[in-house]
Amino acid sequence: MITVTINGKQIKLEKPVSILEAAKMTGIKIPTLCHHKSLEAYGGCRLCLVEIEKMPRLQASCTQYVTDGMVVWTETGRVVEARKAMLEFLLINHALDCPYCDKAGECDLQDLVMKYGPAAGRFTEGKRKHPESYDDPIIVRNMERCISCTRCVRMCSKVQGASAISMVNRTSKTFVEPFSGGRYNCEYCGNCINVCPVGAIMSRLHKHTYRPWFIEKTVDTVCSFCGVGCSVTAQIRGNSIVRIIPESEKGLNRGLLCNRGRFGYDYISNSGRLKSPMIRKNGSLQETTWSEAFMYIAQKIKEIKEKNGGAAIAGVASGRCTNEDNYVFQKFMRLVVGSNNIDSIAGFAYAPARKFFEKIFGQGVTANPIQGISRSDGIFVIGGDPTAINPVLGLQIRAASQKDIPVATVGYAPGLKGFAANRLIPKPSTEAALLAALLTEMLKRKPLPAEKTPFEEIIGKIQPVSLNEAESACGIASGEISACVDSLSGMTNPALVIGRDIIQRSEGQANLLLLAALAQALNGRIYLSSELPNEQGLIDMGCLPDMLPGGRPVAVDSFRKRYGEFFNAEVPSAQGLSLMEMVEGAHSGNIKALYVMGENIAFNIPDNKFVKDALSRLELLVVQDIFTTETTRFAHVVLPAASWAEREGSYTNLEGRMQHLKKAIDSVAGLEDWKIIAEVSKVLGVDMNYRDSRDILAEIAKVSPLHKGVTYEDMDSGECMWPYKGEPLRHDLNIVGIDMPDMKALLKKPEKDKVYIGVDKVLFHSASLSRNSFALNSIYSEPHAKIGKNLAAKLSVASGDHISISTGAGAIELAAVIDSDMPDNIVLVPNNFEGRGAFRVMGWKMNAAFKAPALDGMEAVLKKLERVSAEVSE
Amino acid sequence: MKLSDKVAAEINSIKSRYQDPRSCLLPSLYVVQKADGWIAPEAMAAVGELLNVPGATVKGVATFYSMFRHKPMGRHLIQLCTNVACLVMGAEELVDILKGKYGLEPNGTSPDGRFSLVIMECIGACGTAPAMLVDTDFHENLNEKNIIDTLENYK
Repeated sequence: MITVTINGKQIKLEKPVSILEAAKMTGIKIPTLCHHKSLEAYGGCRLCLVEIEKMPRLQASCTQYVTDGMVVWTETGRVVEARKAMLEFLLINHALDCPYCDKAGECDLQDLVMKYGPAAGRFTEGKRKHPESYDDPIIVRNMERCISCTRCVRMCSKVQGASAISMVNRTSKTFVEPFSGGRYNCEYCGNCINVCPVGAIMSRLHKHTYRPWFIEKTVDTVCSFCGVGCSVTAQIRGNSIVRIIPESEKGLNRGLLCNRGRFGYDYISNSGRLKSPMIRKNGSLQETTWSEAFMYIAQKIKEIKEKNGGAAIAGVASGRCTNEDNYVFQKFMRLVVGSNNIDSIAGFAYAPARKFFEKIFGQGVTANPIQGISRSDGIFVIGGDPTAINPVLGLQIRAASQKDIPVATVGYAPGLKGFAANRLIPKPSTEAALLAALLTEMLKRKPLPAEKTPFEEIIGKIQPVSLNEAESACGIASGEISACVDSLSGMTNPALVIGRDIIQRSEGQANLLLLAALAQALNGRIYLSSELPNEQGLIDMGCLPDMLPGGRPVAVDSFRKRYGEFFNAEVPSAQGLSLMEMVEGAHSGNIKALYVMGENIAFNIPDNKFVKDALSRLELLVVQDIFTTETTRFAHVVLPAASWAEREGSYTNLEGRMQHLKKAIDSVAGLEDWKIIAEVSKVLGVDMNYRDSRDILAEIAKVSPLHKGVTYEDMDSGECMWPYKGEPLRHDLNIVGIDMPDMKALLKKPEKDKVYIGVDKVLFHSASLSRNSFALNSIYSEPHAKIGKNLAAKLSVASGDHISISTGAGAIELAAVIDSDMPDNIVLVPNNFEGRGAFRVMGWKMNAAFKAPALDGMEAVLKKLERVSAEVSE
Repeated sequence: MKLSDKVAAEINSIKSRYQDPRSCLLPSLYVVQKADGWIAPEAMAAVGELLNVPGATVKGVATFYSMFRHKPMGRHLIQLCTNVACLVMGAEELVDILKGKYGLEPNGTSPDGRFSLVIMECIGACGTAPAMLVDTDFHENLNEKNIIDTLENYK
C-alpha cells in the first residue's frame, strides 16, 4: 500500500501511478500540454511540474511515479512561477492570433495563459514565420501556433500506427510535417487534429464557420459508417452539424475515429438529398405528396398480393437503418404483406458466416468485445483488411502488434503491413488449401482434447493437407506456412478477424468450416468484419428470409406461432427468398414487387446490368433513400428518408453491442424509415400505432426473446451487450447440414495466365453513400485499379497509366495503382463510384449453401490504354 | 528515385547489424550522403522503403541532425574555421582567396560543382590556425599559398 499526500490530501494506492494520475484521483487538476490520455507520458512541456518535499527540484508529475510517504504540492508559489516561465517561453514563438484562430475558446494554451500568465512577454525579437499550409484538402497546418508538444506525432505513430507526420528540423525551427511537406498521404483519421492542444493542426471543413462558444447543443450518438459503431459527439448550430468529435472517455473507441466517421458526415447536408416523394408518371419520376405516395403503394401492393400472393412481393432491408426501422420493416413484410422474402446485403457475407459459426458453436459466438483484440495473445486476420473495413477495430490489431503480440494475416491486407509478423498472401481463391494446411499442422502440434464432441468429430473428418500440397496450390513457401503455425501454436486465446472476401466464394462454406475448426483448435474468439453500422442489428431484428426477431428460425412452428399470436396474425411458414433469389425472381417474373429500404441494390449487387434488367421488369419498385441512386432511377415510387443524424433509434454493432442513436438535427424533408412503412401499413389496414422509436423498442423488447426489456437507458449506460437481458437460442449439439469440403478439388491451382477481378475495400469510402460526402471525395476522388508489380510489368503499365478492365459484362477504364504486395493475377477495383464500380463488370455465381453470390473466378482482360499524345515528334 | 546498387547493398549490410530498422537510419543516411553529397527527399523515401521505416520518420531524423545536408553539394566539402584563433591568423583572407580562385561563397558551391564551402565554428586546431576540413581530411597551418596547393589535390 502506498500513501501519498497531495496538497494536504492523503490518498492510498494499491500500485504506483504517476503523480498526475494520483492527483486526478483526489480531484486535483494539474495543468498539462503534452500529456494525453491515449498516449504514453512524455514529460516534454514541463507544465505539470510539482513540488515534492525532500526533492530539491520541481518534478514533472506525468513521468514521476508516487512512492510511499511522498508529499506533493501542486500549486505553490514556486510551481506557479515555473509554469508562468514555461508559458512565457512557449509564447515567444506562438502566433497569439487568438481573435482569428478557430481554436480560441477550446485552446489549452489559451486557458493556461489565462490562469498563469504572463500578461506580457519580455522577448522583443521577432517571432518565427511559417505560412499556414493549405496544401491539403482536409487538414490545415499553422506551424506558427505549434508548441512542439508532439502529441500529434505520437498519436500518429503510436496509436494510429501510420507514422505519416513527424517533427522536422530542430530548435525553434521545429515543425510538424507530413513527408511531402504539403499534402498529407495518410489515413486521414484526423486524430492529430483531435489531440492538438492549440490551433496548429485543424480541420478545413469548418474553418472560420463558427467559434466553439457558438455551439448550441451537443448530441452523443453513434457513427453511421461501419459495424464498429464508434461513439461520436455531434456539435450543432442552427440545425446543422458543424463538427463531429469523439469524446476520449466515451464508447468503445475511447477518443479515436477514422476518416469516415470524422469527416464523412457532411453527406447529410448535401444539396442532392431527396426532398419530396416521387411517383413515376408517364415514364418519369414526378414530385407528389406523401399521402398520394402512400395510397399508390398500398393500392399496388394490395393488387399484387391479391393477384399473385404475398410471396410475389419482396423486401430489402438495410444495415444503415436502425433496429427500429428494420424491425418495423420485417413486421410489415411478414404480417401485412404476408411474405418472408426479406433480406439485405448482410445476407451476402455477414449473415451466412454468422449463421454458420452459430450452428457450430451456438448463438452469439461472434459477439466478442472489440477491446479484447488488443488484450488477446495473438491475432489471425483473413478475408480483408480490417484497417480499411473497420478502421477502429484495425487499430486494436495495430495496438496489439506494438505490444509484441503476434499478428498473422492471410491475404492482401496493406493496412497491417509492418504490423504482422506472418504475412501470407496466397494466389487468388486458394485460401482453403492454406487454411487446411494450417489446421493439419496445428492439430499435429496441439491435438484436440479427446472429448468427442460433435464438432471435434467433424474436424476429424477433414482431410489433412500437407505443407507441400498447400505450397503448390497457393504459392506460399512451406517454410512460411510452418512459421505461421509456430506462431499460432503459441497462442492460447487469439482473436480471429474474418472479412467478407473469404465468405463470398463458391468454396465459402469450406473456408468457414476450416476457420471454425481453426478457432476450435486455437481456442480463438471470432470477430466478423462488418461494413455497415447495423448488419448485426438487422439480423437480430429478423430481416432474414428464415429468421424471426431474436434469431428464432421461421421454420420452427412454435416460434412462428408465438410471434404470430403476439399480433393476432399469421406468419407465412415458407422460408423466404434471399436477396439474390429476389433479384433472380424479379428477372424471371416470379417477383412482382420489391420494397427497398435504404439500399442501393442496382449498384451494390454484382452484375449491375442484370440487376437493373430485373428491376425494370417489376410491377412495383418502392425505394426509400436519402439520395437519388442507381436504384431510385428504376423505382415507381421514391420516398425521401431521414438521414442518420435525423433519426432516433439503435444500432447493434459487430460485437453485439446495442447503442443509442440520437436525433441530432431535424430532417428537412425526409421521414424516418419506420414511419414511412407504418404509414403504408396503415393505409393497408394495419395500424402499427407507434408514436416514436421508444414505442417500437418497447415492442421489440416484448416480441424478441433476445431483447427482453431492453431500453435506451440500458444502451446509454454503454454496457448493453449481447445477449442483453434475453435468452439466446439454446444450442442443439447435433450439427447437421455441414458438407465436408472436397479437399482434392480445393487444391487445384488457379490458372496462371488468367486475371481475376476482385473488390477493393477503400478506407475512404463506404458503399455508394460516401460519394455524397464532399470531404471524403476530396481525399479520394477517383477510383483506381490496383494491380501487382508482375502484372504491371507484363502490361508495361506504370502507376497512373490508364487501363481498361473488360469482362463479359462490359468494360471500365481506370488509372492503375501498383502495389508490390498484391498477388500476380488479380486486379482490385473499388465499388463506390458511379458508373465505375467493380460490380458493373463483375459477374457472380450462386453459392447454393448461402444462397448468396460467390465472387471468385471472375475473369477480366486488362489492357493498357495509350494516351493520345498532343506532341508531334519530328 | 532508386538508390544505386552499391548504396542499397551497403544499407542492406547495415540492416543485418541491428534488430530495429530504425537503428539503421543514421548509418544509412550517411551512406547516402557520402554517395550523393546530400540527402534528397526522394533518397529519404527510398531509404525508408528499404528499411521499412515510414518516410516521415526518416525525414524527422534526417532534418534533426545538422550534419546531414539538404541541398546539392559540390564534389568536395570545405569546412573552414573563422573563429577567433583562425581569424587572427588570417582565415578571412583565405575566404577571399577561395572566392577569387574558385568563385566560392560561404554556404555556396563553385560554379563547376567541384567545391562547397561551409564556414565552421572552432574545429579544435587553434594552435595550428588557420585550419580546415576537406571532406574528412584535416589541414592546418594554412596560408594563401598552401591552401590552393592542398585543394588542387581534390579534383
